[in-house]
Amino acid sequence: MKETPQEKKIRQNLQESGISPQGFLGEDERHIHEIVATDLAVLERLGKTKEEIADRMEFFSQEAFSHYDGNVIIDQIYEIEYDTVRGKIPCPFDHPGLFRKGEITLNNLHKNLKISWTPLNIHMIRAHGFFEGKGAKHRLEPKDLIEILFK
Amino acid sequence: MLFGIINTVLIVSAISGILAFLLVIADLVFANYGECKITINDKKEVKVEGGDSLLSTLNENKIFLASACGGRGSCGFCRCKVTAGAGPILPTEKPFLSPQDIKDDFRLACQVKVKEDIKIEIPEDIFNIKKFKAKVSQIKDLTHDIKELHLQLLEPQEIDFKAGQYVQLQSNKYAKIKKSVSRAYSISSSPDKNKEIELIIRKVPDGICTTWVHEYLQEGEEVNFTGPFGDFYIRDSKADMIFIAGGSGKAPIKSMIEYLSKHKTERRMVYIFGARARKDLYYTEHFQNLEKQFPDFTYLPILSRPTAQCNWNGKCGYAPNYFDEFIKDPKNTEAYLCGSPGMIDAVEKGLKKKGVSSENIYYDKFA
Repeated sequence: MKETPQEKKIRQNLQESGISPQGFLGEDERHIHEIVATDLAVLERLGKTKEEIADRMEFFSQEAFSHYDGNVIIDQIYEIEYDTVRGKIPCPFDHPGLFRKGEITLNNLHKNLKISWTPLNIHMIRAHGFFEGKGAKHRLEPKDLIEILFK
Repeated sequence: MLFGIINTVLIVSAISGILAFLLVIADLVFANYGECKITINDKKEVKVEGGDSLLSTLNENKIFLASACGGRGSCGFCRCKVTAGAGPILPTEKPFLSPQDIKDDFRLACQVKVKEDIKIEIPEDIFNIKKFKAKVSQIKDLTHDIKELHLQLLEPQEIDFKAGQYVQLQSNKYAKIKKSVSRAYSISSSPDKNKEIELIIRKVPDGICTTWVHEYLQEGEEVNFTGPFGDFYIRDSKADMIFIAGGSGKAPIKSMIEYLSKHKTERRMVYIFGARARKDLYYTEHFQNLEKQFPDFTYLPILSRPTAQCNWNGKCGYAPNYFDEFIKDPKNTEAYLCGSPGMIDAVEKGLKKKGVSSENIYYDKFA
């Protein structure tokens, strides 16, 4: 698949050392559209939209942000922890705005499953349907996310 | 047939070539804005070559507006009033400007192109912001993920700042990182030491600048920074003071307390430093020594999640748990806070509940 100049710039941003030292693609060499389309197909099969996923992640993130040191338990099911670090990061897709750094970890105590994400993950899922490439540090498997985010 | 195809290819190539040539000429003619004038605060005039962004043009003329994104239009820090010559607001600026900002002529300097004479209004403090070249004279480990950096100034050789302000450190290229970035760090040393500054830098996972500082930067290397920036500084009064910080938020508070120590303040002060575990505490002995130098200063490190291995006999919990004990006269208390948004929000709420006026609460919230 050919790349437009804009897509080329986005790919450069997503690669290691573009915006973050580790990048967002991991070892994934597929075209960005292919990565997105594959993950969105998984969501469709499981009956969820990217907006529903992002909303749920946002809900847990806001709970953690509003707590003194980012540690909170909800409904005796979800334990959320936010490791705060200073700084913000831009969207590799060149959207305006900056996103908080730091990592939110959600532990589903009933299912004994744990997953971590960054505020930028939420934006990239909602706005671009991008869950990061296979092998990337913050790659989120749509199936795992659904399993853990919804009771 | 073959001749016809070759003929068509040649004609198309010739037309493309002519169009490309015309575009180059048009760019040279129409994008050449010549000399333009920037009038600053109705009193200072700077003659510049047009064509670049207002932010870059001001930087070239040694006027430094804050910017955390290097002019990409993604941080909004370079907001300034442009009262004439800015052209229409771009879609890239709108997310950073409220309707009132637009009414008040605020623009993002990185998105405004200098094409004609421009009038801007900027705070006078900005003229004190300079670009500095410095030598890394010392790098010290404070905790498992926090380093203290000493920068000896080379050019200019002195800096004038207020305790609590920050600088923007410019990273060098390293490993696969092919571009430098600028990041804001509070100065942790006192303004009385004006030939050197100290910074406290916590390693941010995936952070381009902090990875450079923690893994690549060596003592003896030269670095660049701009500053000072920020309006988080000590207010001149006789009120009691409560300082509250967490993590690398200790930097501006250290600068403030060392400044107050040097100037022999008699104000009543308490400093609550919150950390999760004992391994996150640092400068404890330093502040315990400072306690002895003031007539009325208490340093209170508290842990929110001490483990058995911590072997911690000190205070536990969160800062607001100790307000009743340490805030004696809320109406006459100023609070200086530095830390995560969650911490700042919770502490601010607790201070107001205790009776501290919101006008007397100053903070540097981790962005």
